[in-house]
Amino acid sequence: MILFNYIASFFLIVLGLYCIVVKYNLVKTVIGLSILDYGVNLLIITIGFNPGGTAPIFTQGEITPASYFVDPIPQALTLTSIVIGACVTAMSLALVIKLEEQYGTIDTREIRRLRG
Amino acid sequence: MNMLSLQHFPIYSIMVLFLGAFLIVVFGRSKVVRHSVALLATCASMLFMMGLIKPVMLGGEIISYWMGARVPAGGYAIGIALEVDALSLFFGLLVSTVVFVACIYSIQYMSHDDNVPQYYTLFLMLAGGVMGMVLTGDLFNMFIMVEILTFAAVALTAFRNTVTGALEAAFKYLVVGSIGSTCILAGTIVLYAQMHTLNLGQLAALIPGNLTTSTKLAFALLFIGFCTKAFLVPFHPLAADAHGAAPASISVLISGVLTKSGIYGIIRLTYFLFQSMGLGTMQFWLVFLGSVSMFVCVTMALAQHDFKRLLAFHSISQIGYVLAAVGLSTALGISAGVYHAMNHTIFKGLLFLAAGAVLHETGTTDLGKLGGLSKKMPVTTVMFLVGAAAISGIPPFNGFASKWMIYQASYQKAVESNNIGFLAVTICALVTSTLTLASFVKVTQSVFFGQLPKEYENVKEVPFGMRLAMGILAALCIVTGLVPNYVTRFLTEPAAKAVYHVGAYINSAMGAGYAESVMQTVPVAAEPSFVQHGVWSPVSWLCLLMIALLALTVVATSAKYDKVSLGEATDTKYQLFYGGEKNFYSQVGSDDLFWGFKHNWRHYFSFMHELHSGVVNDYALWAVVALALATLYALVVL
Amino acid sequence: MALILQALRYLVYVLVFPGFLFCFMTGLLLCGIDRKLVARMQKRVGPPILQPFYDFFKLCGKETIVPAAANRTVFLLAPLVGLAALVVIQLFIPVFRFSAFNSIADVIVILYLLLIPALSVIMGGAASGSPYAGVGLSREMVTILSCELPLLLVLLAIGKVVGTALGTGICFSLSKIVDYQMAHGSLLGKLSMIPAAVAFLLVIPGETGNHPFDAAEAETEICEGPLAEYSGAPLGVYKLSHAVKMLTMTSLFVALFLGGIGTGIENLMFQLGLSGGAAGAVAFLLEILVLFLLCAVLTFLTISVVHAVTARLRIEQLFKYYWTVVAGLALISLVLAWYGL
Repeated sequence: MILFNYIASFFLIVLGLYCIVVKYNLVKTVIGLSILDYGVNLLIITIGFNPGGTAPIFTQGEITPASYFVDPIPQALTLTSIVIGACVTAMSLALVIKLEEQYGTIDTREIRRLRG
Repeated sequence: MNMLSLQHFPIYSIMVLFLGAFLIVVFGRSKVVRHSVALLATCASMLFMMGLIKPVMLGGEIISYWMGARVPAGGYAIGIALEVDALSLFFGLLVSTVVFVACIYSIQYMSHDDNVPQYYTLFLMLAGGVMGMVLTGDLFNMFIMVEILTFAAVALTAFRNTVTGALEAAFKYLVVGSIGSTCILAGTIVLYAQMHTLNLGQLAALIPGNLTTSTKLAFALLFIGFCTKAFLVPFHPLAADAHGAAPASISVLISGVLTKSGIYGIIRLTYFLFQSMGLGTMQFWLVFLGSVSMFVCVTMALAQHDFKRLLAFHSISQIGYVLAAVGLSTALGISAGVYHAMNHTIFKGLLFLAAGAVLHETGTTDLGKLGGLSKKMPVTTVMFLVGAAAISGIPPFNGFASKWMIYQASYQKAVESNNIGFLAVTICALVTSTLTLASFVKVTQSVFFGQLPKEYENVKEVPFGMRLAMGILAALCIVTGLVPNYVTRFLTEPAAKAVYHVGAYINSAMGAGYAESVMQTVPVAAEPSFVQHGVWSPVSWLCLLMIALLALTVVATSAKYDKVSLGEATDTKYQLFYGGEKNFYSQVGSDDLFWGFKHNWRHYFSFMHELHSGVVNDYALWAVVALALATLYALVVL
Repeated sequence: MALILQALRYLVYVLVFPGFLFCFMTGLLLCGIDRKLVARMQKRVGPPILQPFYDFFKLCGKETIVPAAANRTVFLLAPLVGLAALVVIQLFIPVFRFSAFNSIADVIVILYLLLIPALSVIMGGAASGSPYAGVGLSREMVTILSCELPLLLVLLAIGKVVGTALGTGICFSLSKIVDYQMAHGSLLGKLSMIPAAVAFLLVIPGETGNHPFDAAEAETEICEGPLAEYSGAPLGVYKLSHAVKMLTMTSLFVALFLGGIGTGIENLMFQLGLSGGAAGAVAFLLEILVLFLLCAVLTFLTISVVHAVTARLRIEQLFKYYWTVVAGLALISLVLAWYGL
C-alpha cells in the first residue's frame, strides 16, 4: 500500500515534469507545475505515514513512549507546501492572463522576445 | 533574557523587514510613511547585523536562537532554530547592506511608477526572504524562505509589466524557479525521511555516517535547487531575462543578493551537511560547474546589445568565479570565493544602479540607441567606470584583489594535487577576466562615450538620492580593494574558517558534546592556512601612481598641456575628423565592436544564439536534464 | 631624519631611476634606434637617432585641440594615467640585483597593470567621440585579448618552474624569480622555457602595438584609430608611452628570462680585482648599461626586424595568430614545465 503511494508520487512528479517540458500551452505548463507539486505533497505525506498510527494530537503529559501515531511534521510541511503551490498557481495564471493580453497568444513557442 | 541581548539580533533583523512589508501594505498610501518605513526597516536590519560583527566575526561565537525557546530535547531538535556563524553573518551583512543601498536608490528611481506601495512590500519581502535564508538553521525553513524570495522576485520582475518581456521573463523564471524550489522541497523531505530531523546542525552530524542512496538523491535534488537560485549554468537564461526586465533596484537584489543565497545554500549543503571538503569528485563537480558558468556567460554577455541583459550574464559569470573558488576546498580558495562574492555584490550593484540611472533618464537600455552620455551624466559615468574597472579586475579596485586570490588558490591547488585540470581553471579565469574587460569597454563606448544622439540632448544627471546610493557602493568598491588584508582578516577568513568548523556549528545547535557523541569522526578544525604566493600591496601602488601622476601633471602643465583651446562645433577646427566626408552621426555600433574576436568564434556564437531559444520548454528541459545528470553523478561517483 | 632620507630615496626612484627620467631617455632612445634600423634595412637613410626626442618636444609646444564632441576630462587625463602606470610598472621590474619596490606587486599584478596603458588609449579614444577611434579601440581591445592568453601562459610556466625549484610549489614574486636566476643561471637555459621565451618575444610587438600587429592604430586605413583626434602635448604623451612600453616589455623579458646575466657581471668585477663602494657603483652602472644593450638587442629582434619584413595583419588574423601559434608555444612550455623538464 505504501509502496503504491511512492510509485504514485513518483509518477505524478515525472508526469508534471513531462507536462512542463513537452506542452506548448501556457495553461498546461501551469497544470504541469501543479501536478509536480501534488506529487511532492503525496511523497511528503507518505513519508510521515505509519501504518495503523493514530492522529498525532496529544496534550502535555499524554504522550508516552508507547504512543503510536503518524509523524506530524510532514503533515505540517505538506500544509505549507500546499499553500505555496496554490500561490504559484495563482501567480502563474495571473501572468498567463497578462501574457495573453500582451502577446495575443498562449503558445510558448511564440512568447520568446527575450532570447540569445 | 534581555530583549536587547545579542541572541535576539538575528531574528530582529529578519523580523523588521517582514514587519516593514506588512506596515507598508496597511499604511503605505502616504509617500512619507512608506519611504520612512522602508528605509528604517532596511537600516535597522543592517545595524542588527553589524552588531553581531564583534562576537561572531572576531570572537568566533556561534549564535543559536530557538524560536519560542524550544531547545533540543533528548537529542532531537524539535523547534525551529536560527543559527548564525561567521559564514551566515558574512552573507547577512552583505545582504542587508545592499538592500539598504537599493532602498535609498528606489525612492527616487521608482517615483514615476504606479503601485509603489506594492513595490516596497515585495522589496522588503524579498530582502526578508534572503535574510531568513542565510540566517536560518533549519532546512525546511530554508525552503520557505527560498519560496518567499522566489515569489517576491518573480512578482518584482513583472512589476513594470508594460516593459517588453517583463511578463515573459517573470513566467519563465516562475516555471524554472518552481522546479528548483520543488527540488529543494523534495530533497528536504528525503533527508527528513532518513534522519527524522530538519535542523541543519543535527543533519550535519547524522548524514556523514549514513550516506545511503536516498541521501545521495537528496543531495542531487538540493544541489539543483540551489543552483536554480544561483542561476548557474544551465539556468543562466532566466537570470538574463529577469534582470533585463526588472527595475534596476530589483536587478541589484536579484544579482547581488539572490544569487548569493544560492551560493550560500551550496556551501551549506556540500561543506556542512555532506562534509565533502576533501572529496576529489565533489571538488571537480563544483569547479567544473563554476568554470563552465564563468566562461559561457561571459561569452554570452559579449554578444548582448542590451545594457542590463549584458550585466545579467556577467553576474552569472562572476558567480562562476565564486563557485569555482569555493569548490577548490582550500582555505585560500574558500576565502577568495567569499571575498569575490562580496565584491561581486558591491560592484554589480553599482553597475546595475548606473544602468538604472541611464534607463531613468533616457528611457532605454539598448546599447545601439545610446551614446555620448558622459557629458550629460558625469557622475553616473564616473560611478560606472569605477564599477566596470572593479568587475574587470583592474588594480587597485576590489575585483582585482579577489580575482588575484582566486588565481593563486587555483594554481596552488593544481600544484598541490598535481592535477593539471585545475590549471585550466586558472587560465579560464584569467581569460574570462579579459573578456569581461572587453564587454565593459563595449558598454563604455556605446553608452557613455562616442557621439550623443539628437534625442538625448536634454538628458540631465540623476537626482541626489540615486547618486548617493551609487556613491556608497563606489566607495565600498575602492575601500575593499585598497585594504584586502583587513577585509580578509575581519570578514572572509572568519567566514572561511567557519566552513572548517562544522563540529562547533553542530554543538552550538544541539548542545555541547553532541557532535562527538553521534559522529565517529568529528571533523577536526585543522587551523586553515592562508598561504599566499604573490605580493600585492594596493595602497603602496596607489601612492606610487599618485606621485607619478602628480609629477607628470606638473611637467605636462609646464608644457602647455592644459592650455587647450575650447570652442564650439561651428568652428571646423573643433569638429570631429570624418576623412573629408560630411559631418553626420556615426557611432560605431555596439554589435560591430570586437569583430576580430567574434569572427574567429563565429560558430560558437551562432551555436549559443541558437541554443538560447527563449522557449520556456527548452529551459525547463535543461533543468530536468541537469537534475538527471546531478542525480546520476551523485549516485555513481559520490 | 632616516624617514626623510627614505622618502627622498623613493622620490629619486620614482623620478630618476628606474622611474621617469630613465624611462623617458631609454624609451625614446630605443624608439630612435628602432626607426633608424628599420630605415637602414629598407635602404633608407632614416631619421637621426634623437628624432623621437625632437618629435616629443615639438608636440609639447603645439596647440592642444579638444574636439567639441569630446569629454574633456577623460580626453586629457587618459594619456597621463597610461604613462604614469607604465612608469610605476617599471619600478617593479628588477634590474638584476636591484629592485626599487620588490614587495608590492607580483607577475600576475604586472599582467593586469599592463592593461592600464592599453586601456588609457581605449578610454582616450572613446572620449574623443570620433568614429575612427571607435573602430580603433575595438581593435585595440582585441589586440589586448590576443596577447593576454600567451602572456599569462608564459607567466604561469615561469611560476611553476621557479616554484618547483624553490620548493614552494608556485612562485609569482618577480624579485624571487630574478634571485633564483642569479643563483642558478638564467631561465632561458632550461629546455621548458625556450618555447615560452619565443612566445614572449612574439608577444612584445603585439603589446607595444608595433608592425605587423598595429591594426588598432593603422594610420593608412583608420588614421591612427584612437589617436585620431589627439594633438599637441597629449599626443606627445601617447607617443612617449608607446616608447616606454617597448622598454617595459623588453626589460620584463630580461628580468624573466635573462636574470642570470647579472651573476656574470658580478664575476667579471670580481676577476678584475675590483671591490668596495666605488666598484659597487661601477658594477651598478655596468648593469644598467647591460640592461640597456639587452633591451636594444631585443627591440631590434622583436620590433625592428619584424617591422621591416612583414606587412600589417588584419585584426582577425592577428587574433588567430596569437591564440594558435603563440599560445600554442606557451602551452608547450607550460606542459613541459608541469612535467619538470
